[in-house]
Amino acid sequence: MTAPGGTSLAIFFGLCGAGIVAVWLAPERLQARLLAWAGALAALALGWAGALALAGNGSSAWTLWTVPSLGPITLAADRLSGLFLLVTALVYGPASIFLASALPRLAQRYRLRGFGGWYLALLGAIALVLLAADVFTFLVAWEVMSLLCYLLVVYDHETETHTQAGYLMLIMGEAGALAIVLGLLLAAHGQALDFAALRSAAPGAGAGLRWAVFLLTFFGFGVKAGLVPVNPWLPRAYTAAPPAFVPVLAGATLNLGLYGILRINADLLPAASVGPGLVALVVGTVTAILGILYATTENDLKMLLAQSSIENAGIITVGLGAGLVFSASGQPALAAIAYIAALYHLTNHALYKTLLFCGCGAVEGQTGTRDLDRLGGLIHGLPWTALGFLAGALAIAALPPFNGFVSEWLTLQSLLASAALAPTGVKVVFALCGAVLALTAALAVTCFVKAFAMGFLGISRSPEAAAAREAPRSAGFAMALLAAGCLLLGVLATYVVPVLDRTIQPFTGSSATAAIVPPFFASSTHHTDLPAAFVADFHALGAQVGQTVLPGPGLVLMHRGGAANPVVYAAAPFWLAVVLGLLLALAYLVVRLLVGRRRHVVRQPCWDGGLRRLLPEMTYTATGFSNSVRVIFDAVFRPTTVEDTRETVARHFRTAIRRDREEVYLIDRAVLHPLRSAALGLAAMLARIHRGRLNTYVTYVLLALLAGLLLSAWL
Amino acid sequence: MSQWVLKGLSTGVKTTRYPAQPETAAGVSPGFPSGGPGAGELIERCPTHALEAVNGGIAVNHRRCIHCFRCVRETTAPLAWRDGFEWSGLAAGPGPSPPLGSEFERSIHILVMDAGDCGACLHEVRQLNNPYYNMHRLGFFITPTPRHADVLLVVGPGVDHLRFALEKTYRAMPTPKRVVAVGACALTGGVFAPSFVTGSGVAGIIPVDVEVPGHPPPPLAILHGLLVAVGRRPPVSLISGPGAPRREVTT
Amino acid sequence: MSPEDIARQLHGRWPMAAPGGADAQPGTIALSCPPPHLPEVCAWLFSEADCAFAGLVVEENADAWELRYLFHSRAGPARVQVVARQALAQKEFPSISARVHAADWQEREAEDMFGVVFAGHPRLGDFILHDDAWQEGVEPMRHRFDAQTPVEGRRPKPDWRPRRIVEAEGAFVMPVGPVFGGIAESVHFQLETVGEDVIRAFPRLFFKYRGVEKIAEGKPAHEALLLAERFAATTAFAHAVAFSAAVERIAGAEVPERARRLRVLLAELERLRHHVGVIEGICESTGLVVAASQAAILEEELLRLCAKLTGHRYLFGLASPGGLSRDLGDAACQDAVQAARDVTRRLNVLEELLRYSSSYLDRLEDVGVIAKSDALAHGLVGPIARASGQGCDLRRAQPYEAYDRFDFDTPVELEGDGYARLRVFFAEARQALRLMEQAATGLPGGPVRSPCPTKAGATLSWIEAPRGAAFHWLRLDADGRVIRYHIVPPSFINWHGFHLAVERFAFQDFPIILATLGLSVAENDR
Repeated sequence: MTAPGGTSLAIFFGLCGAGIVAVWLAPERLQARLLAWAGALAALALGWAGALALAGNGSSAWTLWTVPSLGPITLAADRLSGLFLLVTALVYGPASIFLASALPRLAQRYRLRGFGGWYLALLGAIALVLLAADVFTFLVAWEVMSLLCYLLVVYDHETETHTQAGYLMLIMGEAGALAIVLGLLLAAHGQALDFAALRSAAPGAGAGLRWAVFLLTFFGFGVKAGLVPVNPWLPRAYTAAPPAFVPVLAGATLNLGLYGILRINADLLPAASVGPGLVALVVGTVTAILGILYATTENDLKMLLAQSSIENAGIITVGLGAGLVFSASGQPALAAIAYIAALYHLTNHALYKTLLFCGCGAVEGQTGTRDLDRLGGLIHGLPWTALGFLAGALAIAALPPFNGFVSEWLTLQSLLASAALAPTGVKVVFALCGAVLALTAALAVTCFVKAFAMGFLGISRSPEAAAAREAPRSAGFAMALLAAGCLLLGVLATYVVPVLDRTIQPFTGSSATAAIVPPFFASSTHHTDLPAAFVADFHALGAQVGQTVLPGPGLVLMHRGGAANPVVYAAAPFWLAVVLGLLLALAYLVVRLLVGRRRHVVRQPCWDGGLRRLLPEMTYTATGFSNSVRVIFDAVFRPTTVEDTRETVARHFRTAIRRDREEVYLIDRAVLHPLRSAALGLAAMLARIHRGRLNTYVTYVLLALLAGLLLSAWL
Repeated sequence: MSQWVLKGLSTGVKTTRYPAQPETAAGVSPGFPSGGPGAGELIERCPTHALEAVNGGIAVNHRRCIHCFRCVRETTAPLAWRDGFEWSGLAAGPGPSPPLGSEFERSIHILVMDAGDCGACLHEVRQLNNPYYNMHRLGFFITPTPRHADVLLVVGPGVDHLRFALEKTYRAMPTPKRVVAVGACALTGGVFAPSFVTGSGVAGIIPVDVEVPGHPPPPLAILHGLLVAVGRRPPVSLISGPGAPRREVTT
Repeated sequence: MSPEDIARQLHGRWPMAAPGGADAQPGTIALSCPPPHLPEVCAWLFSEADCAFAGLVVEENADAWELRYLFHSRAGPARVQVVARQALAQKEFPSISARVHAADWQEREAEDMFGVVFAGHPRLGDFILHDDAWQEGVEPMRHRFDAQTPVEGRRPKPDWRPRRIVEAEGAFVMPVGPVFGGIAESVHFQLETVGEDVIRAFPRLFFKYRGVEKIAEGKPAHEALLLAERFAATTAFAHAVAFSAAVERIAGAEVPERARRLRVLLAELERLRHHVGVIEGICESTGLVVAASQAAILEEELLRLCAKLTGHRYLFGLASPGGLSRDLGDAACQDAVQAARDVTRRLNVLEELLRYSSSYLDRLEDVGVIAKSDALAHGLVGPIARASGQGCDLRRAQPYEAYDRFDFDTPVELEGDGYARLRVFFAEARQALRLMEQAATGLPGGPVRSPCPTKAGATLSWIEAPRGAAFHWLRLDADGRVIRYHIVPPSFINWHGFHLAVERFAFQDFPIILATLGLSVAENDR
């Protein structure tokens, strides 16, 4: 294996295998620790391989053995695969460390050997999906990955709802895989099955074929990515999965669906018209708004985070869609920026969602409940978990200086850049999607204020929450790593953008770095692509500060327009973080100076209106907090029954007022239930031909035989 | 909506000029009996023992007077009556607190707490916001939370059920803070004390700094009390009558 | 039904109930009822005989409990008192609240104050003496309890929790008070909710309990008058007149005509001032500041008018047993009426302006609705009951003072929402002016006070206070000292129906509904 990265990949696969064997053979009390180490080391190797591939100049390819009639098995690590490998490693590493604290609870009821084996095998399968360079390898790896996901999701199989959720996941996953198979085979249309051949056959494809391939693969991969309308399995499966596995499920496997969409539509069969891009845009927007609506009104913390993952997948898809539209409209620079926004958001989501799920798992492990209505006050017992969860919440709510801010800002800006497009219809769609995305962002803040405040602040609403103690150190360590990653990715945005740009450049042909990171770190005499007057203006604002000590082109993200509109949008996340820190420090110093020795700190209970005692039932519950959102968006939730039954003694003395609220998940109502009734109807129709008499069935066999003979004769 | 703007503008300015100029309109205050020469039989007529015999006549303890008018009506030797409303003084006790510092002179935030009041004192406090008195022009603002309050204005005798709430409210206020007890009930328990649920005034529960007598004190008297609390007006003796006042007047 | 019909039916249906109970004044149908028949008798009076339940007076005699259930006919002049007696050792009486729901809080008060148990009442306890502040068995209104000394050794319930009725996911009890924003009376609200609207509201009252009825015992009438006047000072004159009327009735004193008419004049002046204050509160609660300022100007002018006319802004120290403590000059009365006329004219202008403020009316219309049947079942009184279609006004039904000689309307609205209550307050203010004009015209000369000899006796007196019907029961001994003084203030009756207005509406409507009801906590808590 001479191509760069080959050695590290070999080490990676070797570590996976060794880990599986070690966990299988080790005694029970060591299994969790061993699995954590194995996973972390394997993730390190994988990350190194991904980084090498990213830094590489093109493609490292390996041809393995040949399968008769299907062609050779090829693996290739181009920059896109490298990026996704790196992201997977960034998720798997801390998640494996988190295992050390989450597995012991699982081990109380189940044996860990299977878990360990499947966990590491899943890592290998994900790597294979990302490295596959021909259709057959891709599909086999995809199926193995889906199956392993299913096995891990239903690992805690003693609960009926878990197995049902896993079953739904399996069914929808297989349906999606079927669509993917069809799509890829259509894309190959009779030629060789490796990706290189697909790429070369792409220009010859007709419009109908393109649309068919796009729709099949978009919704096929959309199942894994969690896009509307094929995502009803996601909230259920995420909630059913054991806390040890959920971080990986949300952080690593969700990305694969988006990888597939990107691979097909940007690389293998690039879109020729704006239609596919618009479809992706609209689907992404609808996914985002529905996801966050359900997240905001959800009380189960895990389900809340799962719905939030749906929202984030929607935002990434919006970025992808915008990129596709710009590509097809001949605006490669804007397309590059849109793709960068999508990939940035994908990376960020992987990090902060893993962080949030680790926090949720820690909370569930320490208190035994995930119901926000019963939590509260956890910041006293679990301070480090609270801090980590807060970092994740700030990041996902897109607040500076964390990473969510940069990617969501870039996504919205690339939507606004639709002014450069010609057709008005497209611009209208972009504008509407931008507006809905802004609403989504606002609701996301509400949702995570609720999640953090109801879970960690206030008075504990149940004895379990009151008695909770801090999670084991491995959980805190994992969360700290992820939180540090979130912060770094937010502050060092101008260093992340060129890395993502390298990934996208082969597909768009244009460099986004040039479009959004102007080289202020070089004086105007050395770089001619920036007008001198422009540079002088920004030097006055300090854009060149750090040029002698820091690498890279600059610390300012800026998109420049023409002469009439020199700056379209700009942000400096690094300086934002620095100024924020300075302001906080300054405020602290000023207060200390003013107050000085007269400082007299008194610690008092919260003001409660003069009550004799403030009881937990007198504080806001999570339901109460989000009830206004529920009421405003009543048309979406469509609660089916809201009953106020009053029981009375002697007609006026009320003993109970019951309010039952039933609602059916919108996707279930719109997609699953009609499909189910259609399937049942079809089955009922078909059942009519089953009489139960042997003679009838023999007749059917005979008829089928006749039909087959006639058909083969005709063909 | 323009109708309201026009209506407000056409109503003109009704605000009193107090404290820049004295307020002499009729009906702003019930006044107080004025100590002086008087018959001893008046002392038994007072239901709250606000009248005391001193050398030279009768002294009136404003803190106890409840405006029942029995010392001036249906008697052959009524006490003199004096109008006016500047009645507030400093509370007796272990050294009255000096007024709040100069930075509070033109801006304080007041928390109004009802410690069992009959409704009249609270109603008079509410009038402080009306166009006639407009306490905002003097820098007095009402705040709903003790955390932002500089002055606690207490009305009512301090009943048992609210004792804990009153203490809690007082403790929840950050220093520097002052307490202004408004009304005869807050000062001495009024007609409701002593009983199994009422002590003799709020001073038994929290330390009181400025006392505003009256039953109820009219809004201008409450304003005067607040001005005393911030040091813009000198406190006044709470006893009126011949002979030396029982307490020092500090200006 | 006419009084004769009622009397005949009562004696016909329950022959075991002996007619005539002690201490009922002439014109009252009195019935001495054995305790087991109490629920049926009271239910019949309430439902069939169209009588309103006025109150329950509990008296602890030397050897027996005497429970007096007061009824009066809504439309006609009949008054009924149903008296039940039982030995002191037997504290249990049947509860009538299942059938006469208006008696609910009266029975709870009796249980807390006397220890009398009402069998069948599901909610006794934790009413006046809060369970988290007092132990059981204090019973302060019993003769053996000393009013002056504080209770030593308090043992409140350590694990007291609010009673919760709502069963819903995520329901919680939103606590408001006792110390809450602005300039508000101390009262604690427990609002059960799941977040947007109030599902169930329970006001936890009696934080301001001052034990007025207990303190009054043993005091001479002229000192107890002070308590009657000052326990609810925003309607001080009305309660003082009711107490004075009780003393006069016991003494058999006849109030001079001039004093009667002046009492009407002053009571209506107080009503006008009170209603303007409520209107100001409603405007302020909706944030319509200019209208609130306009109403506040009018209220201040009325307060100054009261002080100019009588010496005190809230009319303290005026009503006395026998009449008034001082005379008011005819010219002064005419001037006062003129000033009140001017105020009312500007009040009418204000009403016109408010009628066209649609954003203001949006906060009041269909908000805080009390249905007529609910108002009837809970026995609500006063302007808020009249806004829900219950038109009972004591000045017509049970005329007192000089009201039977004057001409006035009782405005009634049917919607029962905040806007209906606002309209009733405006309309009653106009009627108050009408009565003032009639009272001040043609004032006869003469004294304003007749002597009131000291006599023993007991009687009921009543008055239509600005907030509604108030009943005072007074028993004096031979020295003229109070043995028992019981007040049923209108706010006590109406707070019982408070939850009807607030439930099913959102949090942001809560302060507005509270303002439109115009209730007083001090009047309720005594």
